[in-house]
Amino acid sequence: MHETLEDFALNNGLRDVSPALKLALGLCCMLLSVSSPAPVAPLLIACSLTLVVLFSAGIPAGFYLKLLTIPASFAAMSILVILFLTGGGEVLVSVSLPGLPLTVTTGGANLAVLLLARISGGMCALFFISLTTPATEIFSLMRRCGLPAAFIDLSMLIYRYIFVFISEAEMIYRSQVMRLGYGSLREAIRSFGMLAGALFLRTWESGERLMVAMDARCYDGRFGALDETPPVSAPALVAVALYLAALLGIACLTMQTTIF
Amino acid sequence: MEGFLPGPWWQIWYVISLPFIIVGLHQLNRLVKTQRDTLPALAVAGAFVFVLSSLKLPSVTGSCSHPTGTGLSAILFGPCIAAVLGLIVLIYQALFLAHGGITTLGANVFSMGIAGPAAAYLIYRAGTRAGVNTYATVFLAAAAANIVTYIVTSVQLALAFPGTAGFLGAFQAFAAIFAITQVPLAIVEGAVIALVFKYIVTLKPDILTKLNLLSESAIERLREAAA
Repeated sequence: MHETLEDFALNNGLRDVSPALKLALGLCCMLLSVSSPAPVAPLLIACSLTLVVLFSAGIPAGFYLKLLTIPASFAAMSILVILFLTGGGEVLVSVSLPGLPLTVTTGGANLAVLLLARISGGMCALFFISLTTPATEIFSLMRRCGLPAAFIDLSMLIYRYIFVFISEAEMIYRSQVMRLGYGSLREAIRSFGMLAGALFLRTWESGERLMVAMDARCYDGRFGALDETPPVSAPALVAVALYLAALLGIACLTMQTTIF
Repeated sequence: MEGFLPGPWWQIWYVISLPFIIVGLHQLNRLVKTQRDTLPALAVAGAFVFVLSSLKLPSVTGSCSHPTGTGLSAILFGPCIAAVLGLIVLIYQALFLAHGGITTLGANVFSMGIAGPAAAYLIYRAGTRAGVNTYATVFLAAAAANIVTYIVTSVQLALAFPGTAGFLGAFQAFAAIFAITQVPLAIVEGAVIALVFKYIVTLKPDILTKLNLLSESAIERLREAAA
């Protein structure tokens, strides 16, 4: 799944838009979602960014929906807890299970709706960034922001090793399963420990080899990657600014809105 | 989960986490300058945390349970560098797997990147000083990193959503829900990390001597005990 996400990031309709602008748009939408006191603005963010991702970036709807179901299942469960835990206002629904009276009040329902809206707005903004901006461009942005070189190098290496890890882990896991390594819980813990240990050491060794290879190519603690990020175009900047201003306006106007 | 933690809590956790990250970055810079060959080791530890903590199980509290894997990096590199690794891993998880989020990053870095590793590091230090069996110490440290992460997460959730029960009541509710999945997971994680440590000792002990974790004589003793 990681690869397909990165594939889309490298190959979508908004690839030529400046990554700084995309990142700024996503981050501003997240901030607006989380600080909006009413559910209207976050829901609007979720809808509009979904349209942008589906039509401007051209991400297939099926793939996008599948991505959204991951956080949706977690959100659903946690919001249920909040719904019953939070009180205040009139009682809407009252379910009495033996020994466990459950009531939903207007206060709880409003908070649940608000959280749901905030999560959808935030998640859509997050997916907007990860589906349209490749990791390499985020690294060069980080460098331009003046973050320490060691931190950026480390992030790049970790990024690389995640994929090395996953492919090695799959290989080892498959061969362990074929040898009945996960037959019982005891066996499973032993096998998983073996897998993790072997993985750690094998990746470590490949890391050492990488350092030797890079030293041979005059690595001095800094990856000299080409910075080929597209510049910010004026119309795009104006469009983003207008969009954010409109959202801010709507968020201010609808501040008092509640559903229940 | 993005957008789940309301203001002012997400800002507060950012502010609390920031000094640890700054110290960690400082230590990282120094370590990479003096011992450049530790860079791949750091990256491997980071990727290890990523892979382990991606194996997540849903939990009813808006956050979720998963092994954290941070215990090992805290033992190997100290808690502040583990915090930096935790930060990088959590950013990747937010971007690529939709685990956590950017506004909740501060809170997550504090629970998984700072509190958990700090507990692991302290236990490991105390254990080695007291002369407890090394594997038992590693087991305890890794399990503690996991448990402490979830205790802190429960505190964070209870502070943000006290509900009608107040802070203490909400904390008990959140912690109880986490405990169902987390206590067995922490034990499994402790066992797995101890096994990983055993493989490192038997197959590649020079890593541990280079990081000044174990003396050569200590490793000799451990290897003899294993054989």
